[in-house]
Amino acid sequence: MQTLVDHLSYREQSDAVRSRFEAMKQRPVVLSVRNLYKTFPTPGGSVTALKDVSFDVYRREFMCVIGPSGCGKSTLIRILAGLEDSSAGQVLLDGNPVSGPGPDRGMVFQSYTLFPWLTVKQNVMFGPRMAGQKGAAVEGEARQWIDLVGLSRFENSYPHQLSGGMKQRVAIARALANRPRILLMDEPFGALDAQTRCQMQSYLLQIWKNLDITILFITHDLDEAAYLSDRILVLKANPGEVNEIIEVPVPRPRTPAQFVSPEFIATKYRIDHLIHPETAAETDSIPFPRMTVAGDDVE
Amino acid sequence: MKSDLIREKPQREPWFAARRDLSPRRASLLTLLSFALPLLVWSAVSYLPFLWHPDMELQISADRENVTTVYVAGDRMSQDFFPEFQESVRQQNKALEAALASFDPAAEAPNGASVRRANKKILRHLAPLLISNGWITEKQAKDDAIIYDAWGRIATGAKLPTRPRLSDENLAIAAINWSAMSKVSPTYASDRFISVPLLSLVPQGRSANPDYLPAPHEVVITGIKDFTAPPEAERPSMWQRVGHSIRIVFGGFLLAALVGVPIGVLCGTYPVFSKLIEPFTDFFRYMPAPTFSTLLVAIFLANDAPKVALVFVGTIFQLILVVSNTTRRLEMPLLEAAQTLGAKQRQLLTHVVIPGILPNLYNDLRILLGWAWTWLVIAELVGVKSGLTEFIETQGRWRNFDSVYPVIILIGLIGFFTDQILSAFSRIFFPWTAEAGGKPNPIVRAILFIPRWFRDAAAERIPYRPETRTRQTGEA
Repeated sequence: MQTLVDHLSYREQSDAVRSRFEAMKQRPVVLSVRNLYKTFPTPGGSVTALKDVSFDVYRREFMCVIGPSGCGKSTLIRILAGLEDSSAGQVLLDGNPVSGPGPDRGMVFQSYTLFPWLTVKQNVMFGPRMAGQKGAAVEGEARQWIDLVGLSRFENSYPHQLSGGMKQRVAIARALANRPRILLMDEPFGALDAQTRCQMQSYLLQIWKNLDITILFITHDLDEAAYLSDRILVLKANPGEVNEIIEVPVPRPRTPAQFVSPEFIATKYRIDHLIHPETAAETDSIPFPRMTVAGDDVE
Repeated sequence: MKSDLIREKPQREPWFAARRDLSPRRASLLTLLSFALPLLVWSAVSYLPFLWHPDMELQISADRENVTTVYVAGDRMSQDFFPEFQESVRQQNKALEAALASFDPAAEAPNGASVRRANKKILRHLAPLLISNGWITEKQAKDDAIIYDAWGRIATGAKLPTRPRLSDENLAIAAINWSAMSKVSPTYASDRFISVPLLSLVPQGRSANPDYLPAPHEVVITGIKDFTAPPEAERPSMWQRVGHSIRIVFGGFLLAALVGVPIGVLCGTYPVFSKLIEPFTDFFRYMPAPTFSTLLVAIFLANDAPKVALVFVGTIFQLILVVSNTTRRLEMPLLEAAQTLGAKQRQLLTHVVIPGILPNLYNDLRILLGWAWTWLVIAELVGVKSGLTEFIETQGRWRNFDSVYPVIILIGLIGFFTDQILSAFSRIFFPWTAEAGGKPNPIVRAILFIPRWFRDAAAERIPYRPETRTRQTGEA
């Protein structure tokens, strides 16, 4: 691979891509993270999960966060959602500091978090109901969100009657029904099989394109990150620090055919280059006994 | 063209395959067997004479001189002692035979009055046999004239008992006795009764189980008799007793649930309540509820209040801990998801915790209701004995175990069917649980038949609604 692609070639953007990024950066910043720290107290002293993390997400941007396991991706998104407190630093939503969870930041979890006792429609109506909205208008709006994720036939089904992919689509509709400023997604397709995941990625891009919504998406899948994002935030592990923010040079609209385009491969290769040293060091340290007959080599 | 190659292979399902489901037919069969087998064992032990039967049930008994233990017909003794018992009566007869053969019917023997009294007893020893043969009714067991007449018929061979027969030995004794008795008087007259000692009938019996294991038919017959008996002044009818027992169990249980469920839910939701309440509850539940019985009587006085209180005390502490644990088992991501959707603290409790735990809470209460039943017996012994327990206690003391078993079985049936009915309804109450989609067991299916029939009948009249009638899975 090293001989085929220069890992720095992802920086070469076409004019169309460059102007897209310029336009994006003209838009207001929706989410701004300033010098965020997170330390966990443990019996052996405190562990730093996040160290001085700062970045901005522009309006209608699709940003992925990727990093080796243990880099604090999930901690980061939980702090942004308000489910955990940071040790230091600030999270600003539209310039205002946030604390605690709220309907302005929708979240889709990796585990299925639909309320099993509510039908699909009732699940989608949960947020508006909590806000005190009632009546046929709420129901009609919920139907629209369900239509948007293509599940109108199932609006009265219970979650246990749905497949994993359908559940996550409902979870997206449920989060969107609150009209959040930003949608936080914590490896939402991690538990799905490869084909469904691919389908879901295309769905998500459709939704993102048609709505005024900003998305912050956590993943450990290089393809997913490169396929979905405008920019990719790559974290370092132990402690979690910003390694690099990659501007993906793959033009939009994205299609699965681009998986083999040079820009796509260059982006993937760059992420791999940033993450790999840490993973490779681990595998290389495992001693490997030889168990085959000498001379019977496959390589 | 259909190929032979794709012909279906005959399926041979193994009976023993770890965690593999049995076919519905086999499952139903085994469910049936699980009830049939114990009944079969009980019947076998009761009706097959070569199985167990360690005792003899006396059909004809006798008194022995200088022995204070009196056996009457219907009593049981061990098979080892029975021949000894017979032999001692034979020896006793042998000593009397000569005097009886050569007495003067006209003369009054010395100490005639006491001998006459003893003879009347011997006369009546035949009564149980006459009753079981249907010659006399139970009320006539002390009617000496009829029994006297029966001795004559048996001795002359005019009419012989068949259920059971009289042994040859006893027929001979009857003949000897009758020839002596009839010399004094051919019919019964209390002043003209033989004053020389008569021979005793040699005890007869049949092999039997101890009285604590009555046969199924005896239990059924006694059960029907007990349960159809009308109430008397001081004795409530069995159904009144059942009602009383159910009131105690459900009263105590519902009170405990009313108080315990909210506390348990709060403990499971807010660590403040958990730390404040659970440690003491955990300690208190180790104090056995029955130890509070005298205290409860002192507080609540007589009648049912202390009984209900005992069931309450026995149930509530378990209930709080079980409910709080169930509440804690609710998946945290659901609460987090609700928070990111804008739910406030109080809404979390009312809109997530409570609906989320309901199916498990319902199951917990089912199990705890079973617990409450176990307190019933002790509760009914507290203060004035009452209800089914009082009946069991009294009948057990009289060794009327054929009256005791129906009650024990009935309590079991009430508990079992309440549980099965509640379990069946859980599918109706909580259609969103995965179990609601699974196949219910045959008992639940039988119970659910009625409500389902109504539902289906209603559904035929209401326009077809696809969302309730079809279950859809899989990706659209």
